[in-house]
Amino acid sequence: MRVVVGDDAVILREGLARLLQEAGFEVVGVAADAEELLELVDRSEPDVAIVDIRMPPTHTDEGLRAAKAIREAHPTIGILVLSQHVHARYAIELLSGGTDGVGYLLKERVADLDELSASVRRVGQGGSVLDPAVVSQLVGRRRQADNPLEQLTDREREVLALMAEGRSNKAIGERLFVSEHTVEKHIKNIFGTLQLPLSPDDHRRVLAVVTYLDSE
Amino acid sequence: MRAKLVLLISAAIAAGIGATWLAAHAGAQRPTEPGPLLTALVGASLIGCGLASWRARPDNRLGPVMVLTGFVWFAGLLSEATSAPLYTLGVAIEYVFLCGFIYIVLSFPSGRLRTPLDKSIVALAIAGTGLQVVAMLFGSGSGLRCGGGCGDNLIQVFHDNGLALALLSLQRVLGAILTLTAVGLLTYRWLKATRPERREVTWVLLAGNATLLALTVTVVDDLLGNPLNSGPAKVWFLTLALVPIAVLATFVRRRLARGSVAGLVVRLGAPTAPADLRAALARALGDPSLELAYWFPAEARYVTPDGRPVHKPGADSGRGSTVVERDGTPIAMLLHDPALEYNSGLVQSVCAAAGLALENERLQAELRARLVELGASRGRIVEATDAERRRIERNLHDGTQQRLVSIAMSLGLLESKLAPDQAQAAPIVREARTALTLALEELRELTQGIHPTLLVERGLPVALDELCRRAGLPAHLNVALDVRLPDQVETAAYYFASEAVSNAVKHSHGSEIRVDVSYDGRILTVEIADDGIGGAAIGPGSGLRGLADRVEALGGQFTVSSPPGRGTRLEAEIPCA
Repeated sequence: MRVVVGDDAVILREGLARLLQEAGFEVVGVAADAEELLELVDRSEPDVAIVDIRMPPTHTDEGLRAAKAIREAHPTIGILVLSQHVHARYAIELLSGGTDGVGYLLKERVADLDELSASVRRVGQGGSVLDPAVVSQLVGRRRQADNPLEQLTDREREVLALMAEGRSNKAIGERLFVSEHTVEKHIKNIFGTLQLPLSPDDHRRVLAVVTYLDSE
Repeated sequence: MRAKLVLLISAAIAAGIGATWLAAHAGAQRPTEPGPLLTALVGASLIGCGLASWRARPDNRLGPVMVLTGFVWFAGLLSEATSAPLYTLGVAIEYVFLCGFIYIVLSFPSGRLRTPLDKSIVALAIAGTGLQVVAMLFGSGSGLRCGGGCGDNLIQVFHDNGLALALLSLQRVLGAILTLTAVGLLTYRWLKATRPERREVTWVLLAGNATLLALTVTVVDDLLGNPLNSGPAKVWFLTLALVPIAVLATFVRRRLARGSVAGLVVRLGAPTAPADLRAALARALGDPSLELAYWFPAEARYVTPDGRPVHKPGADSGRGSTVVERDGTPIAMLLHDPALEYNSGLVQSVCAAAGLALENERLQAELRARLVELGASRGRIVEATDAERRRIERNLHDGTQQRLVSIAMSLGLLESKLAPDQAQAAPIVREARTALTLALEELRELTQGIHPTLLVERGLPVALDELCRRAGLPAHLNVALDVRLPDQVETAAYYFASEAVSNAVKHSHGSEIRVDVSYDGRILTVEIADDGIGGAAIGPGSGLRGLADRVEALGGQFTVSSPPGRGTRLEAEIPCA
């Protein structure tokens, strides 16, 4: 899989490139700011672009804007945005343009090489990734007692969170040590309780779940 | 002084009797001559009013100038004398009094010629009277001004009566141009003058302009061979006599104006508000534009009644100023119309009468100035704190966090490189990685608390939305704000809400929180209410004190309503000027 990396901190840019190469990705280029990154993407047409959210010149959300620009110009290129902050708002802004091939991860997740390469791969294959910290902020929010979310069981809540992270039924089953069939049953209950239309597509349901959590 | 006065009066009476006698015994009366009655009237008016003005305003030149003009007027009557030397002298200085008259009307009320135009007019008038002497070199007798029976012209050198008459006509034309210019100039000044200035010059201006116009008619009439007979000349001598009276009347009226000081003292007897004091002084001085400034010793400068700094007006600012002192130290400064500077006596009397009230006001103004300064320094402290927070957050983000992430990457890499047989090392690396992840998480929480980046990047509504999502209680946000506000306002509002929400979560024992934000184009209102136990109060060391400081530093208002058992409601109103 061919990837590019955009990060203004050289230590992270190079480190990340090395890490990805180690994990078997082909790093076709690195960029130090958004402009350079957009050129690089145009030129090299990678499978995935990994983007730091905070880059020059203003060090605010350049990465997020670059991600949106890449999505518009190259809808098939997967984008993984890295952030040092848990900003649910940014994650939702990113996903609201479509969840296919989009991810939002905290920077520190790069410490787990297996998890990182799984995320890059998932985004590259058109799936989505939402950082567990963001998901737990959405799911873990305190709500009124009569809110439907409060009626979910603990296990259902766990399944909901993993679903929001962008994981497939199979991955959720492995995570919770239950069969895929059990996961499906939980999902059916969750969608029933929240009165969401059940979608067979793993990808689409992320958006449905996240939108639901956000609108609450 | 007294002896000088007696001498001057005696000399004036002698000169007056002499001139009047000459006027009465002139050989053949020419229509442009004043005649005995008007001779005595004009001279007496100039010298009498001149002496009285001199006494009323010893520092003003106009008094002596009027007296001198009076004597020159009498001396001009020597042109009626039969003695050759007296006649020659009389004719030579016959019109010099006109220079004095022009000087008086142009320099009133200060007694000084201020503009180059003023000076040019007076200089040309002197040159015009000089033409008389030049004409005398060429002509004599009836050619000059004598109906017959007068003395010999002792300085006649050539015999060319035609040239002498031409020179005299030139003198008349020059005179007409100068008088009309003076009328225009005086009228223009009057139109441009401020109200107190106008009141000051109106009488002299009316008398002066009437005289100048009558003089112009007389001169033109003379040029045309006196078709109007003696009418215009009589009018012009009569109005000329009025000018010194107008000068004196204005000077004396200033003295009367000091009577308004008595009214001021009565008004100041009642307790006054700052605006009332200003109004009372403005009324007493007849200057509605009057402003007050008070001495602020701590910073050695003047401040307005509400404590803002004031600068002493410069010479060309179009404003005058008078410093009021008590026991040698300044207490206040009056900023007034420059016309009042010609009447410093009135200003001083008013200041003396208002001294105590001004001193009281000064103390209050000083207090307000200190409050203004205190508010500003509070604002500076908050600003410095915010800047420092931004700096720390940035340093942590760009330095420490990046480095920790890079170490985490290295550990991840190391873990992947461990050979399967190094089973003992694997758990140690994993442990280090976990500890590092925790450290990063804590650092993230910390930097977020130090400076909310989302606030800067997305504005108050988004930052508050995120705040409410993270709150430990269900928090309902209702924001009516669709513009970005100044940084310090958004920051203050955010920290206020953040602190208030976390207080509610920690101490209220309530079940939900409401956050309401509204903006009316002027004031941002942030209200945080919970349904908890209430009983919160602002006290030293309480978190609420810090909130109040932040809001008040921006000139905002902070209110707490927390009746026991009925929840707590905190409200901040922050002006967005």
